[in-house]
Amino acid sequence: MNEGGWFRRLVNRSRPAALGLRRRILLIFTLGSLLLSVFLATTTYGLTRSNVVDERIDTAINTSQRNAQGVERDLRSLPADAEAARASLTRLGRQDYLIWYAESWSGGGATFQNADVPPPLVARVIDEGTSASQIVRIGDELNIVVGWDIPGIGAYFEAFSLDEADSTLSSVRLSLILAAAITTGLGVLLGIFSARRAVRPLGTAAQAASAIAGGRLDTRLETTDDPDLRILTESFNDMAQALQVRVERDARFASDVSHELRSPLTTLSASVEVMQARREELPERSQSALDLLSSDVVRFQGLVEDLLEISRFDAGAIRLHMEELLAAEFVRQAVAVSSLPHTPVHVTERAELALIRGDRRRLARVIANLIDNARAYGGGQPEVSITVLNPDDEPMSHILIAVEDRGPGVAEEERDLVFERFARGGGAGRRTGSEGAGLGLSLVDEHVRMHGGRVWVEDRPDGESGARFVIELMAAELDE
Amino acid sequence: MRHHGDVGTRILAVEDDERIRSAVKLALEDEGWIVDEAESGEEAIEKFARSNPDVVLIDIMLPGIDGFELCRTLRRTSDVPVVMVTARNDTHDVVAGLEAGADDYLTKPFAPKELSARIRALLRRIRPNSHGHAHLSFGDLELIPDEGKVLRGGDEVHLTKTEFRLLCELAESPGKVLSREVLLDKVWGYDYFGDGRLVDVHVRRLRTKVEVDPANPRHVVTVRGLGYRLQT
Repeated sequence: MNEGGWFRRLVNRSRPAALGLRRRILLIFTLGSLLLSVFLATTTYGLTRSNVVDERIDTAINTSQRNAQGVERDLRSLPADAEAARASLTRLGRQDYLIWYAESWSGGGATFQNADVPPPLVARVIDEGTSASQIVRIGDELNIVVGWDIPGIGAYFEAFSLDEADSTLSSVRLSLILAAAITTGLGVLLGIFSARRAVRPLGTAAQAASAIAGGRLDTRLETTDDPDLRILTESFNDMAQALQVRVERDARFASDVSHELRSPLTTLSASVEVMQARREELPERSQSALDLLSSDVVRFQGLVEDLLEISRFDAGAIRLHMEELLAAEFVRQAVAVSSLPHTPVHVTERAELALIRGDRRRLARVIANLIDNARAYGGGQPEVSITVLNPDDEPMSHILIAVEDRGPGVAEEERDLVFERFARGGGAGRRTGSEGAGLGLSLVDEHVRMHGGRVWVEDRPDGESGARFVIELMAAELDE
Repeated sequence: MRHHGDVGTRILAVEDDERIRSAVKLALEDEGWIVDEAESGEEAIEKFARSNPDVVLIDIMLPGIDGFELCRTLRRTSDVPVVMVTARNDTHDVVAGLEAGADDYLTKPFAPKELSARIRALLRRIRPNSHGHAHLSFGDLELIPDEGKVLRGGDEVHLTKTEFRLLCELAESPGKVLSREVLLDKVWGYDYFGDGRLVDVHVRRLRTKVEVDPANPRHVVTVRGLGYRLQT
């Protein structure tokens, strides 16, 4: 039990309080994949953007330069006429242009007017006589307006839509956002997977640990090739091994001690019997001493038997010899061989027909121990009753075997403790004499549990002082 | 209350622990029995041949020849009642002791009163008139309770006293199922809490002697969950 205790504490302590390992791994994967995909997307977008836009701008500049040269040619030829230049531009399919000639604008259309040319560009091209370009928004569309100075004559402006580049970029942007989302999503999935993988050995170890705590001491972790996990696996298995050896050694020790005690006890009990046969020949004081001796030899024997049985429990070496028993007959027989053989046994009509499955001698021990307990602590006049649990149920499922005494009862807070090993009632009234080995009730508890039943202690139902120990066992009705 | 055994009943107590041996001897002598002691299997075999005891008490843990081996050795030549004393009541020791030929067993520490009761039960004579039949026949099996003899196909079969009594109890109500408790009571004198393994192992031993094929018994039949019966 203690081993289980410290083990559980250790396991509990290794569990982080705030954020679980799994969540931490997941968080790292999520953030990592998010950052990576955002970085990649931004870079890709930047590169794509400069490529697409630069290409468009180059095209715009080249095209507009050719057109500006055409316009210059037309304007320099005589007679100089903006109309001719416009006609040749129209021939080329140009629409979005403006010609500054003779201090006035010509050209332009619905989509490009002189008002659309930003004043700084006008200033640079017309006033300063340099060629320049600027990206402006005309209507809803992004355009690049390129201005060419035609020295001595005027200037030529042309607008090129960047819309195509813009839509290319926005579809690239969409793809990248999508890709980033998918990447992040995959990152999360990978995170979940890795987290599970990382934690799985812990889960296995935790399961093994609770199996060990539950008494399956031969539980071991599977050996693994993973060098990181091997440390955990090996040290866990070493620990389990050490624990098993220790627990088994303790159990064996108790069993060895009890076995060693058997031989001197046999001598003692035979010798006491020889003396008892000559009791009348002894002086009175010797008689009293002999009586003390013989009753304690009997008690000693019981203690050794209980100790052996307990050590069998601890070693897991108990094999129940199950039989079908008529509950009422069985209890009457068990009471008849107990320390208070004349204890009354009350059985309800239906309980007379109850069949239980059990190990006859061990269950008899249970009854005997409860009666011993009542004798030692319960005022010495117990009563036994057998009733069917939920008597209206069909078929019957459980029976209750109760031993009621007339002692001081068991305090509420001690009702679990009395079934512990070497526990004696703490209440002063339950200490009458020093009788009771302190193992009896714990054996009752362990035996009843091995039979799939349970045992508890409560107040007497009639409100008088006294304890009522109840055993609940599965039962079936006897077929007539 | 002091019980007195049959006058002149000899008990051979084989026990290597001198203190136990002495104490048990004192207690058994109080019952009016004559007790011979032996501290080893070898000594026991020698004394057995010399004193011809009525009951042998064998501790399983003996130096040299152990209790099982001693019991088998005695059984080769004798049907003397044997009580095994074990230090543990594990199935292994108990069943091995019974299979070696012991009639009953006790677990240390035992009260000498209990031992005396066991010995008396083993020594109980079968009253011939309780059966009322001189001869009982079951197929190839023939029982002559008065002479304590069992014949199979006309040849005498050697049974120990306990095996014989077990067969007689079954034969007294042929075809009727006798539960382990009833048999424990009638043959061994045990109460409700006797050990059913006594019956099971003795039936097994009995079958090897009276059945043609002990694995498929035709005389001593198991009735699952109820007990045994002798097939008519």
